[in-house]
Amino acid sequence: MPSLLRKIYPILFVTLIVFISVTLLIFTESFTSAELQARLQQQVEEELESMFPELDDSVDNEDSEVYTLLAGGETIGYAFLAVGTGYSGDIAILVGLEDSETVKGIIILSQQETPGIGDRITGDGFTGQFTGLNIDAVNFKQDGGQIDGLAMATISSEAVIDAVRDTAMEKVKLIEGVE
Amino acid sequence: MASFAKEFSKGIGVSNPIFILALGLCPALAVSYSLDNALGMSAAVIFVLLCSNVIISAARKIVPKIMRIPTFIVIIATFVTLVTLVFQAYVPTLYQSLGIYLPLIVVNCIILGRAEAFASKNPVIGSIADALGIGVGFALALILISFLRELLGTGGISISLFEQLFNAGSLSFTLPAFSEHPLTIFVLSPGAFLVIGLLMALFKWIGRKKND
Repeated sequence: MPSLLRKIYPILFVTLIVFISVTLLIFTESFTSAELQARLQQQVEEELESMFPELDDSVDNEDSEVYTLLAGGETIGYAFLAVGTGYSGDIAILVGLEDSETVKGIIILSQQETPGIGDRITGDGFTGQFTGLNIDAVNFKQDGGQIDGLAMATISSEAVIDAVRDTAMEKVKLIEGVE
Repeated sequence: MASFAKEFSKGIGVSNPIFILALGLCPALAVSYSLDNALGMSAAVIFVLLCSNVIISAARKIVPKIMRIPTFIVIIATFVTLVTLVFQAYVPTLYQSLGIYLPLIVVNCIILGRAEAFASKNPVIGSIADALGIGVGFALALILISFLRELLGTGGISISLFEQLFNAGSLSFTLPAFSEHPLTIFVLSPGAFLVIGLLMALFKWIGRKKND
């Protein structure tokens, strides 16, 4: 029996170490994630204000996860988060709509694309193309849309385009359903 | 106590990780373009080095020999992930500018090197001295490099790290005239190689002079 114990001891030891490590990290994450969430919320609000300068109030519709943006009591647009699957990890995009079919603008909130290649999706040259487009036109030019993808970064560009279009279509249905 | 001081000073002088041992050069080259980065990176490395050295040294008698390296990596990775989570939540700008080099501390050869060469063979007190010495040596080297690079490359120094953390005032000054035409190459990659290379040569020269 002791010889068997000696054989499995390394396995047990490493298992224990990993278990302790994971417990410690889950514990830490529960503290930091709240802080992170609050900061993301603040960032979204700031970005929305730069996208809709006249914005003075917003209503967070919990069911559809769409913000209805108001100025002097009038609805001036909608905003929501879209998440695309990029080349290396999720891309979080804040999408603003002018009305139920026109894009006001998009902002990349977070991404982990390749530096110098995929991360060019955050540049104005790419995100600026979405401004004023009809939701149906959010697609590559060769696929009947109006957006030029980024050379060498097709997967990253496509992830953003697909996430914006698909989420927008889904949310528009919810917006129209409410009205 | 004498040996504590000896272990500590060794890391700063005769076995300085950057200038003498030439370890951990990848993060040193990549993040040293600003003093803020250097301070953040140093803090992260000292924390991880100290914690992993203490744990590894304390557990050195129960770690199975064949599982030594995996165990060290798990312990180091735990502390690195912890630092990454904390940086992400509390100092987001630093987290952004350190980028991939923060999680890459896991494979930083200084830390694994100290775990394998020192902490796994020595008692806890000595390992603390070793970690602090090597950590402070790394920090001083990084601060010196980034000070020169930021000064020459942007024509001034600005530190905003403490402002973000404790709402203390930010520290900045610029060299008049020079800041209008800074030597931009020093904040770019070639500048890192130039500065580190010249400093290494300087420290080698000083070392040789001392021996004579």
